[in-house]
Amino acid sequence: MSRHLLTIAILAGLVLLLVAGVEALGIRVFNRIATNLCISLVLVLGLQIFMGNSGILSFAHIGFMGVGAYTSAVLTIPAQMKGMALPDLYGVLQGIQLSPYIAIIIGGLVAAAVAAVLSYPLMRLSDAAAVITSFALLVVLHTVMTNWSNVTNGPRTLFGVPRATDLPLAAAVAVLAVVAALAFKESRTGRLLRASRDDEVAAGALGVHISHLRWRAFVLAAFVAGIGGALWGHFITSFSPNAFYLRETFVILGMLVIGGANTVTGAVIGTFLVTGAFESLRAIEGALNSARIFREQVIGVTEVVLALAMIAILIFRPGGLFPTREIGALLARKFTKRKHAS
Amino acid sequence: MPNPSLKVVDVAVEFSGLRALNGVSLTLSPGEIVGLIGPNGSGKTTMINAMTGQVPLAGGQVMLGDKQISGLTPRKIALEGLSRSFQIVRLFNNMTVLDNVESAALAHGCSLRVAREKAQTLLGEFGLSPRADDLGASLSYGDKRRVEIARALAADPAFLLLDEPAAGMNEAETEALLHILAGLPKSRGLGLLIIDHDMSLIMRLCDRLHVLAFGKTIAEGKADEVRRNPAVIEAYLGSEAARA
Repeated sequence: MSRHLLTIAILAGLVLLLVAGVEALGIRVFNRIATNLCISLVLVLGLQIFMGNSGILSFAHIGFMGVGAYTSAVLTIPAQMKGMALPDLYGVLQGIQLSPYIAIIIGGLVAAAVAAVLSYPLMRLSDAAAVITSFALLVVLHTVMTNWSNVTNGPRTLFGVPRATDLPLAAAVAVLAVVAALAFKESRTGRLLRASRDDEVAAGALGVHISHLRWRAFVLAAFVAGIGGALWGHFITSFSPNAFYLRETFVILGMLVIGGANTVTGAVIGTFLVTGAFESLRAIEGALNSARIFREQVIGVTEVVLALAMIAILIFRPGGLFPTREIGALLARKFTKRKHAS
Repeated sequence: MPNPSLKVVDVAVEFSGLRALNGVSLTLSPGEIVGLIGPNGSGKTTMINAMTGQVPLAGGQVMLGDKQISGLTPRKIALEGLSRSFQIVRLFNNMTVLDNVESAALAHGCSLRVAREKAQTLLGEFGLSPRADDLGASLSYGDKRRVEIARALAADPAFLLLDEPAAGMNEAETEALLHILAGLPKSRGLGLLIIDHDMSLIMRLCDRLHVLAFGKTIAEGKADEVRRNPAVIEAYLGSEAARA
């Protein structure tokens, strides 16, 4: 038990340290980066809840981020702005204007409800078939978002979303997501799901109801993704369906895979490392361009480096940086081993 | 109330036209140890797979008391009280030994705390306590087999079906395993079906033997009677030996 608390303390401590550091420095760019990092962390942890425990790669996750973002946006855009931002909005929704904090939670709940219906039949699939259908699900969600003009303003940018997300809120949600992901992992559902991840046949022969447990994890993951999307929407305040598609999917997947999908520690460390690398590369890119060292503009360094990092990880450390054990368990083992040795 | 018996009635299994099992019947009662033996390819593993629902039946049925369990999914059959081990060990490799054993208890509805206690007791019985925190993948072959048996027992089964539990173990390990297995029917009231090629283990452990060859029963009965059965000797050693 104590090792779980140690893990929570270290991972939550990392987030709090980041917040304290950024607040102390008081530089606006850092504040934006740190807030984005915390939101990414929520999304990566949501994906870890499903992928890490079930062992099934899911591309659909970012689609549910979009569901949460649009839900929360529609519920919070001020009534007088709705005529402009969403001219075709259904009458029932026109008068609604909720507090963003309530709308963020509703965003998560709607994403979870959509996931609950859509994923129920899909969870019987394994391996490649499951991965392909999750990709199809992402495409379907994206198509709905780009075409359901009444609530999303179609492929155009939806603007007028009230700003409600600041660094402390994003960090608090990120810490809650860390606790939720760890609690789920150690719950009965999480443990049995991990058993099925390692060996589906053996888990089935023990009486594990695999498709049902996967479904639970998928719904919880969608809830967290919806919350993350809504948080992001209230941070960026205007977005289009393209924000919830392939680019974002691969960034979030990259963070999880590099850190190690099987552990919450991996999800957190991966998010920190990739965000750090991204932002420093972007800064280098900007510096190179403004110094005019090369004749042409330098673009795409971040994507190239992320791709190389992923390839390197998949070759040299396929399970990611933290493939099986959480940081708390690693430290506890080290400590007891040293005690045995002395 | 004692558990009802497990009855396999006239079971047939086909793999694309090949009859792997052809009208085999077997009864396993609580508290007894039955050895399922036969030459390679005689259908022993298929028999366990058929009982636990891993392969579909082409005929016959499996009954638990008055209840038909053939046709149910492996999961439902497991919840009816049938636990098994696999010929090729199937551990949860990225989980610790303790988590491996706990998972079976959790799948059968134990609380987290009860599952932990049960798993720790079982690991103690199997001499695996020092390895509780090691990952499944890191164990030696013999240890893996023992973890798999401990895991099967954590489900509190009424019937335990073991597919070559002693394969890959050295003599001392086999001896220790024999000791544990021999005590199970009494201590837990379960019926034990065991496949193994180690005849000395089988002879010392089993009350009854059931011999398969080419998917059919060729002999069954008390261990020493079966051993003298000419059909069994022929199946194992060829017809020359039987005539000699």
